Amino acid sequence: MRRYRRVWTVYRKELIESLRDRRTLMAMVLVPLVLYPVLMLVLVQALRSETGRQERQNYTIVVPNEAHRRWLESVWAREEEEREARKAEVEQLAKASDREVEDAMAALRTEIGAKQITIEVAEPGLSLWDLVSEQRYDVAVLAEPVPDHENFADHENLIVQILYSDTDPLSEVLFRQLNYILDHESLRIAKAKVTALSGNDNILSPLRVNNLSTTSPDRQLAKALALVVPFLLVTMTITGAIYPAIDLTAGERERGTLETLAVSPVPSGQIVAGKFGVIVTIAMVTTMLNLASMTAVLHFGGLGKLFAGRQPTAKSEALAVEAMISNQDSASSAVLQRQALLDNLNRRRGLEGEAEQRVGFVTTAAPIVLLAMVPFAVLFGGIMLAVCSFARTFKEAQNYMVPVMMSAIVPGLIVSYMPTIRLEGPMLVMPVANIVVLMRELFLGNFDLAAMSICLLSTCFYAAVAVIVAVRVYGNEAVLFSDVGNYKTLVLRKFIRPQAYPPAAFALLTVAVLFPLNFYAQSSLIKADAGPTQNLSVIAGTQLFLFAMPVIFLAWYMKLDFRRTFSLHVPGPFPIVGTLLVAASVAPVSNLLQRIQFHFFPLSDGALKLMEQQQEMLFGDPSLWLSLVVLALLPGICEEVLFRGFLLGGVRQRSSTFQAVLVVGLIFGLYHVDAAKVPVVSLMGMLLTFVCLRTGSIYPAVLIHIVNNGLGIASTKFPDLKSFFGLSEELVVQSRTIVFIMLFVIGLLFLMKRRGSSAP
Amino acid sequence: MTKPIVEICELTKVFPTTEGDEKRAVDGISFSVEPGQIFGLLGPNGAGKTTTLRMISGLLTPTSGTMHLNGHDVRARRLEAKRSLGYLTASTGLYQRLTPRELLHYFGELIGLDKPAIKKRLEELVEWLDMASFVDLRCGGLSTGQKQRTNIARALMGDPPILVMDEPTLGLDVLTNRVVLDFIRAEGAKGKAIILSTHYLDEAEALCHQYGLIHEGRLVGRGDLAALQEKAGRRRLSEIFLALCGQDEHVLAGVPEGGSNRALGMEYPKEGGRS
Repeated sequence: MRRYRRVWTVYRKELIESLRDRRTLMAMVLVPLVLYPVLMLVLVQALRSETGRQERQNYTIVVPNEAHRRWLESVWAREEEEREARKAEVEQLAKASDREVEDAMAALRTEIGAKQITIEVAEPGLSLWDLVSEQRYDVAVLAEPVPDHENFADHENLIVQILYSDTDPLSEVLFRQLNYILDHESLRIAKAKVTALSGNDNILSPLRVNNLSTTSPDRQLAKALALVVPFLLVTMTITGAIYPAIDLTAGERERGTLETLAVSPVPSGQIVAGKFGVIVTIAMVTTMLNLASMTAVLHFGGLGKLFAGRQPTAKSEALAVEAMISNQDSASSAVLQRQALLDNLNRRRGLEGEAEQRVGFVTTAAPIVLLAMVPFAVLFGGIMLAVCSFARTFKEAQNYMVPVMMSAIVPGLIVSYMPTIRLEGPMLVMPVANIVVLMRELFLGNFDLAAMSICLLSTCFYAAVAVIVAVRVYGNEAVLFSDVGNYKTLVLRKFIRPQAYPPAAFALLTVAVLFPLNFYAQSSLIKADAGPTQNLSVIAGTQLFLFAMPVIFLAWYMKLDFRRTFSLHVPGPFPIVGTLLVAASVAPVSNLLQRIQFHFFPLSDGALKLMEQQQEMLFGDPSLWLSLVVLALLPGICEEVLFRGFLLGGVRQRSSTFQAVLVVGLIFGLYHVDAAKVPVVSLMGMLLTFVCLRTGSIYPAVLIHIVNNGLGIASTKFPDLKSFFGLSEELVVQSRTIVFIMLFVIGLLFLMKRRGSSAP
Repeated sequence: MTKPIVEICELTKVFPTTEGDEKRAVDGISFSVEPGQIFGLLGPNGAGKTTTLRMISGLLTPTSGTMHLNGHDVRARRLEAKRSLGYLTASTGLYQRLTPRELLHYFGELIGLDKPAIKKRLEELVEWLDMASFVDLRCGGLSTGQKQRTNIARALMGDPPILVMDEPTLGLDVLTNRVVLDFIRAEGAKGKAIILSTHYLDEAEALCHQYGLIHEGRLVGRGDLAALQEKAGRRRLSEIFLALCGQDEHVLAGVPEGGSNRALGMEYPKEGGRS
């Protein structure tokens, strides 16, 4: 109880102090509250004023002769006529629907009127090319053959060349406008001709393509936001946390208050916990304010409206078209069709108003997004705390923060630019990136609970390791006093003193680093089409080079006591009996648990298929021996060396049996990333950890592991073995299963009876 | 003789150096302090004073040796030992954005006092150290003297029976210096055991009852002034020190009696104190 009160004391004081820091307040409150509205205003205003400026500007066009000039003027006049007609239509619609209708997109589109255009005939002897390239005119137009403005409708294959300059903004604007206007002209001529020939211009649009998205407008907005917002939030969260993180660690050291804190009778873990809480709190408040500010801008600012204005109310339109199709025989008349379309147009305008209101959806998604940000804030709070704890001065810490920020922003940025990345495969455990993708999925309304939980769990795992490392770093002498030692003494082997076990934080860090590596290796190298032999060799490789070798190397480098770290002891007679009993009965028991789980939480068909596919990939091999070696013997040894050896060796010094069993078991479960298997594999991991702790030896765990995996594989080939152990695929409790459960329990009792020859 | 409250036995700290060998910063130091005694740990810069005091305060873990504070083994019962100890240096900082009242409250809570106890102790300290005029201002704006008084109050918050002070007057102005020295004397008179490290020998001579002269990590002399005078055959502390370090001849050559000895970093100023 007292422990929590102290953490609370530290938390409260650090929070008060941080909130009195102007820099923290700036990043936390001012930036989000002011940045987005300003950004938004500036953006919309800039767009509008740019359009406005372009429309006010005067442009010059040079043409080779008088005929050209007159023709071009007449084209412009016809274009303006059409514009007026469109405007009148919009106004009429507005009147009809009794609402104000703003053609939002038109406001952002440049329309250069005839008044702003000066068309001049080039002086004889001057090259049009030179006139434009010397920027005396914005654009030159020249047509071949010479156009006739009176019989404009007779033009056929008239080649119109526009000379412009890419680097001159006015020239470019005018060039685009000309292109646009000439396209219209071309269409007008075609229409007039076709109408003269056949009475109407329907022939010009044999296909009328209408794109109707079945996604509701709010979802479409969500999609647009999903690409930007997660990344923005990640960046902002980091920005908010950065100052408190530095201030609470390096800042404290620099100002000389760290010593006073270190001499007070409080364990450094509690101090770090309090500080960590403050960093996470400030990061989350920053996120919250950012999200709130963004929502407010969308709600009150122009963007939502703009967006809503663009959404077709696709459904009513589609239904109308469907109705037309079903009435096909009677309604071949174009008149009816036109009416229906106009009707639709009206309805669309009305519904757009509704869509506008629905932009408020962001408000409903916000809490979930915020929730997804918690593990992220926790992770980076931990990392920043650990990294800053190494720094001696504020400046040094700021330098260290640059790569930390990059490590958050770069994956976020990359993922933002890849909208097709889904929350699956390696992405599930990719630090940072998985949170960005998760948020995007949430924005799109996709809730995959299994994927989400793996994503959140793995992030929490990284965060926990970061915090533990932070505690270790914080209490370290070389870090506490800058004059005490050099960092080299922490890293180089010749300075490392022999010790019995790896430090707990270090063991966890090692496992945390290997975790994604293992994941990538497995998911990128194991392919359905590669054939079982190749897949098996990949597994063998990861087992040897990711699980066993790194920790054995580390154990050597750190001069650890191999016997103690890896529990290389021979267990006593009671544990041996217990081990044999458990080993004999473990496969039926774990199978039963798995069946119970699948009974109550059945797998989806997709997951089931995937599982079968995996089995096919791995067990399809004709050689049973190879499968046994790679899938039972190697994991039994290599995984045990990593989990029950190195990891448990580190964890158990600082925790009770219960804690060690829980932590090592859960991490073991997480390593087998298949979400459906995590519960049972975790239980298995807990059992193995328990056995190892009780017997003080790794050998029983190795044996049980090998037997459990081995029986699972062998039983796929030998039906007799399968029925003997009752490894049914249905949830049926046979009498022999009960016998096995009893054997299992007796085995456990034997194991609990006496501690093995474990070293103290 | 009363029972010692601080017992240090064969304390050693070895640091690895980047060159690959070891540096014995503190090498087998033993001493004890009784309640009411002021123990002066004297020596030049780099002699191992700070390292020794940091080990006693539980900031550094000794390579070997035992330490008992108020009956608690510093290594085995670190938190209890820390609770019976107040720590003060001239360089310890204050939280700039807290007021002295908030700061003292914070450390009171960390020590484990309850609210009424904190309030009572705070009022006592504010009155005794004359802090009323600035106790509710932010520490960032306080003068050096006010800061050091706040620091003293922080060290005394838990009313610890032992005070460890590492160069408490280093770099302070005359007025603040006076505050600190008065406070040390008063606390000694109240029956606290005080361990004081300094390289200002005049200060030490005016305050301390017992001395430990430390040179290159070893105690070269220990005891009260009389015992040291007898052992070294000299009268003044600086001479005693130089004699005991075996630096007598070549360093003293040409330096008049009572002068300063820069080579050892020991200051022994003439009349009027330091500037």
